[in-house]
Amino acid sequence: MIRAIGLAKSFSTGGGAPLAVLKGLDLEVKPGEYLAVTGPSGSGKSTLLNLVGLLDGADSGEIWFGDERVSSAGRRRQSLIRGRQVGFIFQAFCLIASLTALENVALAARYVGGDRTEARRRAQALMERLGVAHRTRHYPAQLSGGEQQRVAFCRAVLNDPPVILADEPTGNLDEDHARVIREELRTRVRERGTTVLLVTHHPEAFGEADRVLSLVDGRLAEP
Amino acid sequence: MVSGRLIPRGYLFTVLGIAVGMAGLVALGGMAERITRFIEGGDRFVLGQISVAGQGLGMGAGFTGGGLLPRGKLEEIRGVPGVAGIQPQVMLPLNPVTSQFLTLTQELILGLDLSVPMPNRHYRELPVRAGRFLRSGDRRQAVVGADFAAARSLGPGSRLVLDGQDFVVVGVLERTLTAPDRFVIVSIEAARDLWLAKDPLLRQVFGAGASLSREDLNTGAAVGWVASEDPDAVARRIAQRVAGVNITIPSEVSRLLRNSTAFFSALLVGIGTLGLLIGALSLANTVTAALFERIRDFGIKRALGATDLQLLAEVLGESLVVSLAGGGAGIALALALGWGIHGWVAPQGQQLFLFSPRLLAGAILFSLILGALAAAHATFRIARVPPAEAIRRGS
Repeated sequence: MIRAIGLAKSFSTGGGAPLAVLKGLDLEVKPGEYLAVTGPSGSGKSTLLNLVGLLDGADSGEIWFGDERVSSAGRRRQSLIRGRQVGFIFQAFCLIASLTALENVALAARYVGGDRTEARRRAQALMERLGVAHRTRHYPAQLSGGEQQRVAFCRAVLNDPPVILADEPTGNLDEDHARVIREELRTRVRERGTTVLLVTHHPEAFGEADRVLSLVDGRLAEP
Repeated sequence: MVSGRLIPRGYLFTVLGIAVGMAGLVALGGMAERITRFIEGGDRFVLGQISVAGQGLGMGAGFTGGGLLPRGKLEEIRGVPGVAGIQPQVMLPLNPVTSQFLTLTQELILGLDLSVPMPNRHYRELPVRAGRFLRSGDRRQAVVGADFAAARSLGPGSRLVLDGQDFVVVGVLERTLTAPDRFVIVSIEAARDLWLAKDPLLRQVFGAGASLSREDLNTGAAVGWVASEDPDAVARRIAQRVAGVNITIPSEVSRLLRNSTAFFSALLVGIGTLGLLIGALSLANTVTAALFERIRDFGIKRALGATDLQLLAEVLGESLVVSLAGGGAGIALALALGWGIHGWVAPQGQQLFLFSPRLLAGAILFSLILGALAAAHATFRIARVPPAEAIRRGS
């Protein structure tokens, strides 16, 4: 269970008044639920995902993973939570340019104490499943957008995290590649009970979700 | 993640940047080492013997700076308690025209009485690189310093003409980076012949039937002391008991030498400080800039669960490899530069650089320590940036 209580976040605007993006947002995601959050660009979808994934700090409010208030955990503990419990998928893929596709995927195991050989084996297997095994030795710049996102997906699920946070995961993909990613997410939910929190403004993604919420004026609402 | 590569991918320009900074540091350090060796060598020499010269203004006579030191005075000195040995010497400028400009680069003729051992405690014999040193009985043989030999392409067996007199080079000294590098060493008898040939006044005095013999033609002498004696005390005793001579007190002349080379010492400190500053700024800036260019990668890694310590260990590992590669390349660049310049100035008997093992080891150590510190500093700064912000900044 993921809970966010009274989340607020604002950004400075270079001398002007701070721009309040989230204004006391509340959220509850059940284990194994596939939740899509929609909203226009700039509405705070990515900010919400960053706060829930502990990639950024909220101005106020709390985030709970089960019965642990993770928003107030120490830096080291938050790192462990990110590594073991959360898999991130970014719209811009966020692969490391200096590493090969296989190294990028296996990197996810590096910081959680995973065995390197075993990690590479699992990475190879995942890449075969996603149809990018022939690209293991290629660098991100040598891959198409669809291939990069599939590699990024493999990295996100390598440690079999109970939570996947996906930020516009199909935003830069054509329909065929987007469908592969959506189906994989749905499969993870169905077969492994993974919790997925996805933010998007693409309506095609809503059909896969168990529930859809709309982010409006810094708060979530039923669409 | 190095993944088996010699240098982490994307670090080539960082390595080059460090190499350029390190090359400057090592080249400056090489010059500083050269000056240090010269000062230390001179200091070691003057502390190894008591130098005595005759009173008066003789020909440019190196450290002794005196006039005639006749045989009678040598006998008086020999009788002073604490004196263990005395070696008469003649020191002459090779070119009298330049003798008034006694400089560190002046070429000198040194005549030694080969029938007695050298009393200098630190130089019982001068090390010979090729051939042999002079022996008792040598008259037209010469041993030359390394720079003197290099400037004239001399080696064992070479012919050397000094003031119209023929000599055969029988040995070339090891390079000491001190005054003997520019010496021509001959027997004292040969040096006396050269002195008479160079000095018309001395010839006139001899021709006028003065009560001088050839054994009186000494510009100075090196005096040794009994092991249990304090050399300064022996020198002062000689000064008290023997009139009409110039005595150098070893510790005082060492001090005077250091004072006279104070400029070089200051230059040395300046060069060293400048080199360290340039090297430190170059290396720290290059490493920091390289890490901040990868801030997005750090954001991604933190999103994948990397802790601050894991990132630091990773960055330190990479930074040490990069610093080592940059430091090594910088040393190679400096050595190549020094080699090129040496080829240009060696024919003039000059040596600008001394790339000593301690300098090279120090340069590597310096690059590693500084690389590690710069990496640690940059990592801690990057770690303060939230992962989301780091990913955004680098995108």
